[in-house]
Amino acid sequence: MRGTLVNLTVNPCKMCMPMGAATALYGIKKCMSILHGSQGCSTYIRRHMATHYNEPVDIASSSLTEEGTVYGGERNLMQGLINLIKVYHPEVIGVATTCLAETIGEDVQRIISNFYEIYPEYRQVTIIPIASPGYSGTQYEGYMEALYQIVKAVPMNTVRHQKVNVVTGQLSPADTRYLKTILDSFGLDYILLPDLSENLDGGYEPEYQKLPAGGTDIREIGKMAGARMTIELSTFAGETKSVGRYLQETYGVPCQVLNLPVGLRDSDRLLKFLKALTGREIPAAIRKERARYLDAMVDSHKYFGEVRAAIYGETDFAYSMVRLCTENGIFPVLTATGSKGDRLKELIREELQGVSDILNIRETIILDEVDFQTIEARAREAKVNLMIGNSDGRRIAGKLGIPLIRRGFPIHDHVGGQRLRILGYEGSLSILDEIANCMIDRKESSFRDELYARYYKKLQADISMQATSVKPAESRTDDRTQSHPCFNCKAHKYARMHLPIAPRCNISCNYCLRKYDCPNESRPGVTTQILKPQEALQKFLEARKKVPYLTVVGIAGPGDALANFPETRKTLELIRKEDQDITFCLSTNGLMLPHYAEDLISLGVSHVTVTMNVVDPSIGAKIYGYVDYMGVRYEGEAGAAILLTNQMAGLKLLTSRGIVCKVNIVMLKGINDSHIPEVVHKCKELGVTMTNIMPLIPVKGSVFEQLEPVGEDELLAMRKACGNTLKQMYHCRQCRADALGTLGQESFSIAVASRSGIMVDQHFGHVTEFYIYQYHNGDIQLKETRQVEKYCDGSLECEEKEDRIGRIIHSIADCNAVIALRIGEAPREKLKAKGIQVFTDCDGIEAALHKAASKLRIKAENHMAK
Amino acid sequence: MEVLDRVLDQYNSKVYKNRKEHMVKVNQHGSNEIAANVRTIPGIITQRGCCYAGCKGVVLGPIKDAFIITHGPIGCAFYSWGTRRHKAKNEEGVANYLQYCFSTDLQEPDIVFGGEKKLKKSIEEAMELFKPSTIMICSTCPVGLIGDDIHAVAKWAEKEYGIKCIAFSCEGYKGVSQSAGHHIANNQLVRYVIGEGDRQISNKFAINLLGEYNIGGDGWETERLLKRIGYEIVSTFTGNSSMEDISNAHKANLSLVQCHRSINYIAELIETKYGIPWMKVNFIGIEGTIETLRNVARYFNDPELTARTEAVIADELDAVREDLAYYRSKLKGKTAAIYVGGSRAHHYQFLLEDLGVHTILAGYEFGHREEYEGREVLPFIKPDADSKNIESITVEPDPAKYHLYLSEEDLNKLREEKLIDYYGGMVKDMKDGSYMVDDLNHFETEEFLKLLKPDIFFSGIKDKYVAQKGGVLSRQLHSYDYSGPYSCFRGAVNFARDITMGIYTPAWSYAMAPWKTVPSLEGELGGEAVC
Repeated sequence: MRGTLVNLTVNPCKMCMPMGAATALYGIKKCMSILHGSQGCSTYIRRHMATHYNEPVDIASSSLTEEGTVYGGERNLMQGLINLIKVYHPEVIGVATTCLAETIGEDVQRIISNFYEIYPEYRQVTIIPIASPGYSGTQYEGYMEALYQIVKAVPMNTVRHQKVNVVTGQLSPADTRYLKTILDSFGLDYILLPDLSENLDGGYEPEYQKLPAGGTDIREIGKMAGARMTIELSTFAGETKSVGRYLQETYGVPCQVLNLPVGLRDSDRLLKFLKALTGREIPAAIRKERARYLDAMVDSHKYFGEVRAAIYGETDFAYSMVRLCTENGIFPVLTATGSKGDRLKELIREELQGVSDILNIRETIILDEVDFQTIEARAREAKVNLMIGNSDGRRIAGKLGIPLIRRGFPIHDHVGGQRLRILGYEGSLSILDEIANCMIDRKESSFRDELYARYYKKLQADISMQATSVKPAESRTDDRTQSHPCFNCKAHKYARMHLPIAPRCNISCNYCLRKYDCPNESRPGVTTQILKPQEALQKFLEARKKVPYLTVVGIAGPGDALANFPETRKTLELIRKEDQDITFCLSTNGLMLPHYAEDLISLGVSHVTVTMNVVDPSIGAKIYGYVDYMGVRYEGEAGAAILLTNQMAGLKLLTSRGIVCKVNIVMLKGINDSHIPEVVHKCKELGVTMTNIMPLIPVKGSVFEQLEPVGEDELLAMRKACGNTLKQMYHCRQCRADALGTLGQESFSIAVASRSGIMVDQHFGHVTEFYIYQYHNGDIQLKETRQVEKYCDGSLECEEKEDRIGRIIHSIADCNAVIALRIGEAPREKLKAKGIQVFTDCDGIEAALHKAASKLRIKAENHMAK
Repeated sequence: MEVLDRVLDQYNSKVYKNRKEHMVKVNQHGSNEIAANVRTIPGIITQRGCCYAGCKGVVLGPIKDAFIITHGPIGCAFYSWGTRRHKAKNEEGVANYLQYCFSTDLQEPDIVFGGEKKLKKSIEEAMELFKPSTIMICSTCPVGLIGDDIHAVAKWAEKEYGIKCIAFSCEGYKGVSQSAGHHIANNQLVRYVIGEGDRQISNKFAINLLGEYNIGGDGWETERLLKRIGYEIVSTFTGNSSMEDISNAHKANLSLVQCHRSINYIAELIETKYGIPWMKVNFIGIEGTIETLRNVARYFNDPELTARTEAVIADELDAVREDLAYYRSKLKGKTAAIYVGGSRAHHYQFLLEDLGVHTILAGYEFGHREEYEGREVLPFIKPDADSKNIESITVEPDPAKYHLYLSEEDLNKLREEKLIDYYGGMVKDMKDGSYMVDDLNHFETEEFLKLLKPDIFFSGIKDKYVAQKGGVLSRQLHSYDYSGPYSCFRGAVNFARDITMGIYTPAWSYAMAPWKTVPSLEGELGGEAVC
């Protein structure tokens, strides 16, 4: 969707480093944290943490002001440290920097040294500097950096002991408690860093403790250098700052990196490791948990094959969720993280092999450093039907109408974020049950409709089509239609004027490039000078003087007439004041039609053209990039559904009030071509007078740039087939939004009678095939060769069907002129009567065309002058 | 020992001195002078936000079709994404970006080499993806330091795309609280938006509703009431507003000011430039609403309007009387502490009083002295270095658009009566012996709650859980805890229902507040001299 647009982040899927640092510090006993920067950082982060944990969150700030940015923040930071110590009596203080402190180059280590020198009485407080500028990484890096700096800053006692270090990424307090239960059940003596289990999920106590009473004791941290080993429960900590690696490299403490114990395999792995480490058997209670998890895997497997999951969040979280999914036969079609994730991508690809083979799904999307706007577009494309991640994905889930299983941080729209579980067999089972139940709910709420649609809907549609008694379109064509060149192929002599007053559009069609005029109504790839309503009136008044038979004023863009309704209304009102008889016609994509149908009728609009390419949202989703409706952007099927619901409702409203409606359908090969008869059927039901099936003219730079246009014969065949249902338009010029005159006047369409294709060398009466040229400002372009017989075979209601001359004439009825070697008097008169100029010539085609065109131009100008 | 001293005593002498000036025990015969809008003390956990929060989050955020790009590293944009419940109605032809968050997500190299290029490219991408008609650029801390000229980029964007593009230099470190950000936002809206609209207004009872952000639908309820009486609301600043609404503010005949702190600059500048006076109003509380409606009718001085005002008041009152009487019977005699905003802590005292709830402590996060003591103190406030750093703009009357609804003479009369162009602050409406505390911090909150034992503490999410852990019901007056509207007559019922439900929720009967088991010392020490 966004392609190379990577500078603007739209709906971020990450937070900043200080957030991670503050979270990690909450796992240290009697520790307070202070963010060195402006106070907004603390306030924002506290607000976000408090909403997730439903707990008080105390994070101080050095409250730097403008003065601090000039003279440095040392004074503020020192004063902040004193106040923190005085009010909270902490044992540890983490000083995490922010964008501001890092940008002005604060040397926090030095400030802390100065602080200890000036205030030796506070030496017993361990003050830990953490460099966490918001521009250097996400909350994940901030968290890891904080743990790393804590271990580095705390004085280490290297005396060997039997304890084991256990270091984790960000876990929920409930998961941390569970992890501790596991470790305890092996009788393991351990140092857990950090320990969020109590500080961010406190109970209701008689007395609230200001200073976090739970968490890892700093004295314990001081023993980490002498531990038996470190277990680092984080697959990706090593990508940034790894406590385990630091302890190994600096103090020779062996480090074992394990994945988070999520799912069967990784939970097994941790337990087996603990078993080997402690020599104790896996406790019976845990073995039972495992058995229940396995039982559930078997019981629920049938729901999993249909899941197309999107997983997003921190790297450790995302990887664990992917592994949980794959071991259950769930295919994550999309995995995303806001952090950098080269290794994550690699690991996920390996992980997906197995399940990819089972389900025969090959395509998967793995994104890193990504925002939610991109995730949304890719999720839509990948037909995701379930999401797993933090609450920021709720907007996408809502838009796509799919369930979101909330895990990770932050959870802002539900309560209990601090109690959500992913670890161990139980945590995994909680997710598994939720996934299965989402799929069951989905089936339960949709299978009736789906089966009905599969087995009965078509039948129903057939019946309703027969039953609907729509008056034949022809009988409703009134006088205005008789003189409307776009609605009546015999109305050549009448001129229409398109006023380009509507620049904005409210939908995005994939065959359109917005810098040009709307291709639904205009010739693709042209741009028009926009007029204000008053200017449009002037132009109309001038044109009325010059152009005879100006019967129709239309608004056809260059954007969408109804996306610019104030201008459209104003223009029509102004013109109506000047001319009571002129026919008003309007083209639109139909999105706003139900809103403005009544207004259009009271403005005296009698003809409306709606471009409606599909009547099925799933096909529409392939054609429309987005739909901006009532100020909100809708994409995919949701957008298409709004658009076509409104198109149909709008058409019905108009036709029921006697407005003549035409529907334009852009024929898109491989997208809606086989669907067009259904659209035409629907149009008939809605009382539409005729449909105009148009070929796609690919616009360079548009999404459909590479789409192969339908051939003339395919187009004619489609028109012919649909002609049985509804009257078809054969003479559409796909004109510009500022077109004026009879159809084709500004650029002539000339039929040439030629056998060789080089010279004008054929008698009019002998033609089996015309070369149709487009002449435009001196440019000559061969548009098509037209088979007379083929062309006239359709169910057309033009009168001359019987004789050969009649058929020939009919086949070029849309041309301005014809050039032949010779021509009989009778056909000449007939052609003249149809407004088609006749030229005889024996020159080369090009020269003959130039001659003919200059005569046509003079004729047109004379006409205007009169 | 006095309550204030018992709180202050736990500070060191420097902090003691500073904080003491921010605390007042109200005495209607005394001066009640309070220190406000000065620097926060580092290390003591303040609830205040930053300049960016006030500019982007408060004033600009609710404008639905403003495409606001936060220029800076990712955090600030993320944290200000969808966190404030300013509601807006979708309307055709007006884009609604309130669900979105846009950021330039500056990285380390951008900080080193400058972020202007990325900002420009972000604007190009915004134009390609969304085609907004207005882009606003809000800068965060590092941007001011690395010297990105966001104003030049804004000019470039206006020229390149023919859109409106306004830059706001609202780096977080500016000023001492959100207040600086309000001022910066106000300045730019006056400079670049107000006065540009050309909407035809035929109703002479045309008003602006300033300082109403439509939290939980407050603005909608207020608008409903005003429209019922016959007013036309030209613009609301900025809840549920579009740029077009705001650009037409100069067409009104009176500006009503709800939140004085965040919008008073605009109110005054509009008056100077376009001749539209402003009136401090309050739509929170039954009595407050009635008084406001009558005052506004007095300004317009039209017998028919006055009659309609009375008829509507009578009708609206009828509809809520029974409910309110019931809730009042449940709430009468309860006490409250309020710490919020720059005007709300004042407004809600009226509503609580209507319900028989007495406010024993009130404070503002980012109010200035005039919100406490009234605008009469303005001449005595010496601007400090922090306020001087925030630009103050001046405007001249606009000869083409200046218009007076009343004669100068009539206006002066109303000014003398303090009906227009005046705000008296909260202290005059507080009872002797109650407390005003400015910038009430995390520590003091807990101490005051222990000492004063209010039944309800009104504040925000950051201090909510401290209060509730202490056994005191806490409701958020920033977000209304997913409830609202609370304004006008019907809103009062919603509010009364919410706090009745909160006070009587069965959980409290199982959870004992600490002081209900621990004997309080206050009685023994009461009346002791201040040390």
